[in-house]
Amino acid sequence: MQQWVASYLKRYPWHVSAITLIERIRGYALLEAQSAPEQRESIGALRRLYLDAIGVVHPVDGAVALLAGELAALLPQPPSPPKRIHRLAESRQDRMVRWRCDILIAATALAASLPLVHQNPRDFETIRMVIETAPGWFPGLGPLNLVNVLRLTS
Amino acid sequence: MKTGKRRTTLTLPAESLCAAERIARTRKVNLSVVISEVIEEGLRARTEAKREGDRRLRIWETYRQSLSDLSEDQRVLLDGIVLSEPVNE
Repeated sequence: MQQWVASYLKRYPWHVSAITLIERIRGYALLEAQSAPEQRESIGALRRLYLDAIGVVHPVDGAVALLAGELAALLPQPPSPPKRIHRLAESRQDRMVRWRCDILIAATALAASLPLVHQNPRDFETIRMVIETAPGWFPGLGPLNLVNVLRLTS
Repeated sequence: MKTGKRRTTLTLPAESLCAAERIARTRKVNLSVVISEVIEEGLRARTEAKREGDRRLRIWETYRQSLSDLSEDQRVLLDGIVLSEPVNE
């Protein structure tokens, strides 16, 4: 994974969807709010590093919105249940929001004809499959190329 | 680093040479001036691209190492997953 990222970053900037940026910045804000005061400075530094690492932010424009709308209609429910770790669980509402975010991220990659690097195979493989099985809804686009971070690291 | 000028012979794609000659005529300068400028710009862009690539890689490495200091719960939160004590919905 590291070699792959290194060879990529030497030549190209890091592209992210505006939706990914929203999720990350929200994550940093929540993390900072939940952290002990002595950890807040390092989280702030991490947030700045993340923003420095981003090269291109792809907005949700008309094409992305159109594709995301079609995908959301074809896939109204998330393909996996809310995330659980030990005694903690994601709410159904949050899971649905995250599913819609994943749809928007996939639509962004599809509209930009860029491969999508992810660590969530269940959600993104489901989206990739529906694009392949219903090409009439996505004329001239696709396939959605997925790069699974988990597979790259194994 | 060597300075000054040296003569050499180049074999260039005909199309590129024609374009360079057109620019030289338009600007009323020698063809060598145009070719030199193009080479210098290309070398500068290549150096800048390499520097930028190295910078991206340096930032990424620092970021990756800093992420490893976070717990699993914290990394999950950064991925947009908010976990809490389950309540009956």
